[in-house]
Amino acid sequence: MGENGAGKSTLGKILAGIYRPDEGGLEVEGVERRFNSPLDAQRAGVAIVHQELSFCPNLSVAENLCLSHLPRRAGRLDWPKLHERARFYLDQVGAECDVHEELGRLSTGQTQMVQIAAALATGARILVMDEPTSSLSAVEAQRLEELIARLRQNGATILYVSHRMDEIFRLCDVVTVMRDGQHVATVPLAQTNEEELVRQMIGRSWQKIFPAHVERPAGPERLRVVKFSSPGKFRDINFSIRSGEVLGMAGLVGSGRSEVALGIFGLDPKVSGSVFVDGKEACPRCPRDAMKLGIGLVSEDRKGQGLVLGMECGENITLSSLDRLSCGGVIRRSAERGVIVKFFEKLCVKAASPQVPAQTLSGGNQQKLVLAKWLARESRVLILDEPTRGVDIGAKGEIHRLIDELAAAGQAILMISSELPEVLNLSTRVIVMRNGRLVAELARPEATAERVLKLMTGCEEETSSGSRQPAGYALS
Amino acid sequence: MQSDQPMAISPEPVAPRKRAIGFKRPKFKETGLVAVLIGLGLLLSIFGGSLQVPNRNTGEVVKVNKFLRADNLDKLAKNTSFFAIMAVGATFVIITGGIDLSVGAIYCLAAVCGAMFLNRFGPHGAGAGTPALLVVPGAILVCLGVGALCGFINGLGVVGLRVHPFVITLGTMAIYRGIAFVMTKAQAFTDFPEQFTDGFVRREISWHGASLYPVPFAIMIGVTAFAWWYLKHSVTGRQIFAVGGNEQASLFSGLPVSWVKVKVYTFSGLAAGIAAMIMLGYYGSASSDAGKGYELDVIAAAVVGGASLAGGRGTALGALLGALIIQVINNGIIILNIDQNYSQIIIGSVIVLAVLLDRINNTLREKRMTRAARPIKN
Repeated sequence: MGENGAGKSTLGKILAGIYRPDEGGLEVEGVERRFNSPLDAQRAGVAIVHQELSFCPNLSVAENLCLSHLPRRAGRLDWPKLHERARFYLDQVGAECDVHEELGRLSTGQTQMVQIAAALATGARILVMDEPTSSLSAVEAQRLEELIARLRQNGATILYVSHRMDEIFRLCDVVTVMRDGQHVATVPLAQTNEEELVRQMIGRSWQKIFPAHVERPAGPERLRVVKFSSPGKFRDINFSIRSGEVLGMAGLVGSGRSEVALGIFGLDPKVSGSVFVDGKEACPRCPRDAMKLGIGLVSEDRKGQGLVLGMECGENITLSSLDRLSCGGVIRRSAERGVIVKFFEKLCVKAASPQVPAQTLSGGNQQKLVLAKWLARESRVLILDEPTRGVDIGAKGEIHRLIDELAAAGQAILMISSELPEVLNLSTRVIVMRNGRLVAELARPEATAERVLKLMTGCEEETSSGSRQPAGYALS
Repeated sequence: MQSDQPMAISPEPVAPRKRAIGFKRPKFKETGLVAVLIGLGLLLSIFGGSLQVPNRNTGEVVKVNKFLRADNLDKLAKNTSFFAIMAVGATFVIITGGIDLSVGAIYCLAAVCGAMFLNRFGPHGAGAGTPALLVVPGAILVCLGVGALCGFINGLGVVGLRVHPFVITLGTMAIYRGIAFVMTKAQAFTDFPEQFTDGFVRREISWHGASLYPVPFAIMIGVTAFAWWYLKHSVTGRQIFAVGGNEQASLFSGLPVSWVKVKVYTFSGLAAGIAAMIMLGYYGSASSDAGKGYELDVIAAAVVGGASLAGGRGTALGALLGALIIQVINNGIIILNIDQNYSQIIIGSVIVLAVLLDRINNTLREKRMTRAARPIKN
């Protein structure tokens, strides 16, 4: 375990031969080894299941599974044998999917299963799993846990990297905590508890990260969504946000939360229904429309959709407001720099200078840049999709405080998050989505972790939700 | 228990930072290219040997350096000007992550249209005797207009049909050249009014007994300077880099991504039109196979100049220097009496080498940057 940036993934990748260690050696089953490539690691029986799944999405499941040792007959691919072999591997992990299917069409959970199957297919006895459940739904995660239990019985050794406390305690025997690239402690789980682990991870107690909630009178309505639908994604969504409010949106991955956000931001051509901004009906057809209405979207994919990583930090901040910082199509340099300095100071962006490329910043500071981009635009409605995903805990606290301050200053904020503590502690109201429907709207006092969790997972899963506490202690 | 450990994250994030947020002048990115150019120049000056040339005015024979003499440098500047102007245009496209294969064909079509226009108003054409004040701007307008229009169509194709620019411009490359071919019926057009050739593009000045033609060079400098300024200081310039750096993020930031793309292809076409205009004025003729294979030379110049085909990187000055380096090497092959047949091999190797050096340089710079950024994290 460890915070983001503690070096867990890097360690895993060294074990699997993807990176080379600068110094030190490693032993596998008592034999000293040096891996120069993933292939070396495979031969030694070590395989990794990545955080970001790495496969050829355009090939079929069977081809992916046997990619490193395709069966051949007379110089041609032996298709029947290939499929048979692939099916055998899939049966081993209990994955139900068609071997002929293109890999790119499978769900994340299925892909993960295929990946584990592929790891086992190489004859691995030591499996490195890097946050395997981070993008899985509750049901898929449940399946994965069962599989891990089965693998253990069959004698496999598993290095399980995770942020989720409950998983660690359910699945693991021994835990190693890392911080800032250093080993902090290795203890049998029976001899430790959550509090202590968290303390070891962050070097301080974690309850303090949320700002105290202050009751505020809400201002006029800023955004209203009526009968908002998109075929196959979500249906009949109605909610409104007032100035000074943080509306938390809870729901499992795949429940249509982000899709609603994209719809409001004009990125879904198939939406129907109406969006009212400041009481006036307005249907943004593209992000440009939405931006002109004063809507800003901090999307969940920071690197793909939020930032131009190769550009300077400062340029990223002013990217959306260049029309206001220019005169006749020419950028007014002093005005631009004024804005950059203002938001660097306001958001405490930690960078060597506003002129370094955005990619050199840490996740939390990158997220601040995305936020700054919309604040520089003076957006009055902010949609934050997983604002603290992949952000270290210090920056996370800062972002929470910032969200609170923005609301106090009269912003209307829609915050989508998978982390229940975040939703519960920051929101003035909470709406819950399940399977593309809005299932509940709760005022702050009503929104307890248990209730929201039950609503998120649905009645049929109420029995299992007790044992599974998704995100309850998630620290990512 | 862990209290003796240094704290990784400051618990009070609002701690005021004393350090002022400073802006530095951006570093000059083309140092490497300039160095290569100077190196090549020195090499050719030293090893190029000398030439016995009679002075035109006095008649006495003087010994001059084969490379470093006015005529040669002037020829070099003229040869470079076409490519450099088109390379600057291509750099715009390449920065957005696209590619324009049709520049050679646009150059040809613009030249042919301009040539037909000039021929008509030439000494033996139907419109002979029209005042130069109309003919010259008219010809410029035809060349630039045709170029920009062709580029605009490319842009519409890329944005509207959502086909990869490689395919679109591969198609329009054939189409534009085909149009030029049909228009000219494979004839060459000459016989232009003197006001356009000798009076404008081929205006001659005498300097120490050598005749120089400064206009192509001046236009090249002008186009490069404008492009440099535009990329650095205009809103569109910034957006061009953003679209190339991350198209999706640009879309999510509310940038007019499609419009930016149309603009860069139009600019690339316009640059080809400008180059065509210079060619017309300088050589005084055009045919439907003008500029064959130029697209690859142009892209090569842009890439040698540091533009990244992945998008997001490139400069106007780099394109100019890239074109200049390639031309200096071409020139050097002649000066050093190397077999012409080797020139392609040499140029090809230089392109690969230049890109390799550029990448090494960038990796080093990124490492420095990351190192510089690190101590601030705590």
